[in-house]
Amino acid sequence: MFAFLLQSVASTFDRPAIDLHALAPEFVLTGALVVVLLVDLFTPKGSRGIVPSVAGIGILAAMVPVLTLALDGADRSMFGGAYVVDNFSLVLQAMFLLAAYVVVLLSTNYVAEGDYAEGEYYFLLLCALLGMLVMASSRDLITMFVALELLSIPAYMLAGWRKRDRRGNEAGVKYYLMGVFASAVMLYGMSLLYGISGSTLFSDIALAVARGNGLGDTTPLITLGVVFVLIGFAFKVSAVPFHTWAPDTYEGAPTPVTAFLAVSSKAAGFVALLQLILIAFIGRDDVVGPLMWVLAALTMTVGNLIALRQTNIVRMLAYSGVAQAGFMLAPLAVVGSNSDGARSAVVTYLLIYAAMNLGAFAVVLIVARKTRSAEIASWGGLFEYAPGLTVLMTVFLFSLAGIPPLGGWLAKFVVFRALLSPDLTAGGVILAVVVGVNSVIALYYYANVARQMWMNPVPDGDRTPVRIPFSLAAAVTLSVVLTVAFGVSDLATHLGDLATFLPA
Amino acid sequence: MIAIAQVTPVWYLVLASVVFAIGAVGLLVRRNPLVMFMCVELMLNAVTLTFVTFSRMLNDVNGQTVVVFVLVVAAAEVVVGLGIIVALLRKQPSATADDLTVLKG
Amino acid sequence: MSDFLRDYLTVGIFGLTGVALVGLLLGLGSLLRPTRPQPQKYINYESGVDPVGTGWGQSNVRYYIFALLFVMFDVEAVFIFPFATRVDAYGWFGLIEMGIFIVVLALGLLYAWKKKVLRWV
Repeated sequence: MFAFLLQSVASTFDRPAIDLHALAPEFVLTGALVVVLLVDLFTPKGSRGIVPSVAGIGILAAMVPVLTLALDGADRSMFGGAYVVDNFSLVLQAMFLLAAYVVVLLSTNYVAEGDYAEGEYYFLLLCALLGMLVMASSRDLITMFVALELLSIPAYMLAGWRKRDRRGNEAGVKYYLMGVFASAVMLYGMSLLYGISGSTLFSDIALAVARGNGLGDTTPLITLGVVFVLIGFAFKVSAVPFHTWAPDTYEGAPTPVTAFLAVSSKAAGFVALLQLILIAFIGRDDVVGPLMWVLAALTMTVGNLIALRQTNIVRMLAYSGVAQAGFMLAPLAVVGSNSDGARSAVVTYLLIYAAMNLGAFAVVLIVARKTRSAEIASWGGLFEYAPGLTVLMTVFLFSLAGIPPLGGWLAKFVVFRALLSPDLTAGGVILAVVVGVNSVIALYYYANVARQMWMNPVPDGDRTPVRIPFSLAAAVTLSVVLTVAFGVSDLATHLGDLATFLPA
Repeated sequence: MIAIAQVTPVWYLVLASVVFAIGAVGLLVRRNPLVMFMCVELMLNAVTLTFVTFSRMLNDVNGQTVVVFVLVVAAAEVVVGLGIIVALLRKQPSATADDLTVLKG
Repeated sequence: MSDFLRDYLTVGIFGLTGVALVGLLLGLGSLLRPTRPQPQKYINYESGVDPVGTGWGQSNVRYYIFALLFVMFDVEAVFIFPFATRVDAYGWFGLIEMGIFIVVLALGLLYAWKKKVLRWV
């Protein structure tokens, strides 16, 4: 977004029109960041609990301008079209803010009770959130790159937050090395796209990419650029074969950070993919479609098959997240014939996935407070001493598996609808069959956890009830209400249809 | 005098692609986390060279703007990455990527 | 001969002169000086201190945080230079924008200061 300032150096300087209302969510969040940092620096060491409250209030305060912008309804475009506020960005920004708020709720007790730096934790969380908000509005390569790094670099640090633990270190190093490798590949793709189009704006790139001229015969160069950029984001959404970091990082990172990576960070990757594929590369669905088809089919199949063998619940959720990413990639394979349907399906799926996955992680955190273990075997007989939690976890697991009338069912349904309409194509039908088969496989490992909770005996015979701190209870309540509401109402599909891009 | 071809911008693009490939292969082949990390820097430098060359070919200043952002982001990545790697090497002073096996993908 | 090659010819002549000069002086020295080799003379020069251990000995990373801070703040300056060349054209708008930028950087420095990493240990 600063490109505009530097670009004007050559000519006389025109002051860019800055729409303060459009930028208000980012400004409020930046203010919250600064306050979090200062509060952490200038409060005495013992006073814990202030920083998470400030962070939570900051996130909710940033929600206010998002809502006023949504009520206002006007599409706003700034910096020559590099930064846009449209329905798409508002829906996704609201989702990022809500998801981050739930992550703050999940973190409060975990961070306060462990030996962790508290102020920095929330500061970095808000930094990453700011990057996600910018990502949802960016329609320019530079802005998108800065947004991606703003959300990735804090995430590298958060992943290695347990720095006295070997697994924590390993999680950080693996995520970091894979992440920077991915962003370097993506940047090289961006440089090729810039060379072809002579501009960093998505709308200009769309023209050049579809037309295919520019500096001589550049079709192979365009293909290379498009593929490199998409592969860079495939790492972010942990698509197979670029998923190898995900399970290790998820297991080694603190569990609230795992929830953040699995939901918000992955959603940010999908937001970037949607913007790139539907705005910048829309003329090249002959390249994007097959690539996404292969990625989607591989991702859900491999993710599910490995998830079957997991004995650790966090690793199982990690691989299930990989498989879910495959379901979300599937609509992008038919982007050539049904671009609106694909966009709507992915946004709907993202909203539902965020609700149910955060809920599942919240229950994992609560149970781990008692059992001190993440092994699925330690969940045996949960129903005997925590029936409420068992019901809630069952709701989240069955929703992830896609059983009606829960949210996950609707998410699968919109994917099928996007693949099979407006008319049947061979690729769409085969992919729909793959999605169907994988949904059945996934049911097995989700049901396995449920069986463990309902039927098996308590492993150590300890039947004392689980104490649930207030913030975790709030997080679970929010998640379960949304998971059920998304399933029984058309709220999510409605938001998905609503999230349209500003016409270029 | 021996005729030497004029250095055209395409040479720089080829050089950048070679440097990028060296970095990518190095990252996949080398096992010391610090060396792997230097390979990433090599890849980023190839990217900036490509951007500057295209900027020159297209006579457009935007490409140079990107380079400034890439530089700053690369510095931020260096700082964070060194922090993470030092934290690892404090625990395991001679760790290579092959030793990172507590967690199995 | 093109201008392009003429420039390189100058560089070449300059380089050759340098090499020749060094060769001449060292050659003269070896002709004039007495030659009495002793093992002491083949030890690496370490400012007068006898070297201990191998060249791969680990050194204290006491200064590594200073280095990291330096890298970060040094690179951020790259945004200030283009701004400084056109400060009059940007006017108040540019000054305020740059002021915000520098305040944010200063916050980082304040953080480092409060966390006592700027102290010389």
